[in-house]
Amino acid sequence: MRNLIAFLLRYQGVMLFVLLEVVSLYFFLTNSSYQRAAFFNSANAYMGVLLARRTQVTDYFRLDELNKQLQADNAQLRRQLFPPDFAHREADSLPVGRDTLGRIVYRHLRPATPQVATAPGLLAQNAKLRAQGSLRPDTLLLGGSKQATQPLVPARVINNSLREVDNYLTLNVGSVDGVQPDRGVISAAGVVGKVQAVSAHYARVASVLHSKLQVAAQIKRDGTIGSVSWPEGTDYSHAMLDYIPRQNRLVKGDSVVTSGYNSVFPAGVFIGTVESFTTEPNKNFSTVTLRLGVDFSRLTYVYVVPTPPRAERDSLEQHTGELPAPVKAAQAQAAKAKKP
Amino acid sequence: MSIVATIGGQLLRFALYVGLYVLLFDNSSVVLFNLGWNFFYLGFLLFLPINTPIALQLLLGFAMGFTVDIAHDTGGLHAASAVLLAYLRPWVLRLLTPRDGYDAQDTVNVHQMGWQWFLVYLSLLVTVHHVAFFFLELGSLQHPLVTLGRVGVSILYTSVVMLIVQLLFFPVRRGRFQ
Repeated sequence: MRNLIAFLLRYQGVMLFVLLEVVSLYFFLTNSSYQRAAFFNSANAYMGVLLARRTQVTDYFRLDELNKQLQADNAQLRRQLFPPDFAHREADSLPVGRDTLGRIVYRHLRPATPQVATAPGLLAQNAKLRAQGSLRPDTLLLGGSKQATQPLVPARVINNSLREVDNYLTLNVGSVDGVQPDRGVISAAGVVGKVQAVSAHYARVASVLHSKLQVAAQIKRDGTIGSVSWPEGTDYSHAMLDYIPRQNRLVKGDSVVTSGYNSVFPAGVFIGTVESFTTEPNKNFSTVTLRLGVDFSRLTYVYVVPTPPRAERDSLEQHTGELPAPVKAAQAQAAKAKKP
Repeated sequence: MSIVATIGGQLLRFALYVGLYVLLFDNSSVVLFNLGWNFFYLGFLLFLPINTPIALQLLLGFAMGFTVDIAHDTGGLHAASAVLLAYLRPWVLRLLTPRDGYDAQDTVNVHQMGWQWFLVYLSLLVTVHHVAFFFLELGSLQHPLVTLGRVGVSILYTSVVMLIVQLLFFPVRRGRFQ
């Protein structure tokens, strides 16, 4: 026994060192997993309060910048409320022709085009947009009548990292405000990330600058779908767009928006623009670099997207064992490309 | 000096280093050349009394690293590299022992131990810590040049900050509590 104690005392340094390293590395390696207890991160009550205080103080020195940013957001939203320039150029009561019974048809009485008429949800949404005087869909207005009634949860970024391999944000909203894990987070400039853990008043968000976060995306011009990722070694203003087949034509400056396939983000939220692309003879997919719409270095106000009816959709897709077909095809192609 | 005063003083130092690091020297706001980080909190571990027991040093290193990890959402990254630093510190101190051993009053102080001693001590430990930290963070050796650049600039940055802390806040005369 005495020998044992002597042994333990003699090697206490080495043993404690190994023990602590194993504990730290365990915490480090399980950090990005979703099962992780929500306490040991910056969204816990104590650290959250501390970081919120820090933000209060540092905000004071950036009021000017913050106001300008909010003003810019406001201006953009307000502009969407105004009717477009060409809205009133033609008188809406001029007769445009006669119908089959010989009655005069006025423009504003013309029936909706069949395309629109087949989708009642879209029609309702269009009517709403028309009422607001704009036909252009707003990136912050969500598709589907059910979701549009739920408001976005506005939040303030109180902690932010840019230069790590996996970057996170901390927001000052939590489960009390109706935020739950796996919600999407967007800002006026585009997609920001996905909620990973929440406490009562704070939420931790894995930003787009996280090596394991992928956003289902599509090119706005022609609807080609792909997936936005942020591989290691990319800087915080760029990301990659994967799974674009090499035969598809790409144009520099193309807008890339969310496709809505993974039901975290509504469809049509801006992500970024194509900055450069290359096709290599031995790859099935083009290598596309995006310039992200969101400037993560000066991110202040963001919005958490309300719950989409995703539980139903996910369970349906899991029951039938089907990913959305194009994603599956792309994955199969990618697997094939890797093999040789 | 009583034990209570020593423990109280060290707790105060711990709070000061962590507080200043989390509230002021945040990694996303104070970055050198867009590459280098400043690991200000390492000052707590580097400037502990020379005769601190190894077990206590390791535990303090872990506590310090883990607190920073919680603030930065890095899991156990800072903790792992801080524990490594705490473990290696006694070895480096032994390596640099003066000819007639350390005096009871000796502390890690640039004025008392001399520039040469201090710079070797600082650069050895900071280098080991930063190499471990940045390669562990990446989890691979995929981008060696960028990572080495970050390590290099960060070593410079942290060392200069530690030197400034020493010159500003550590007593020139011997035997006073700092």
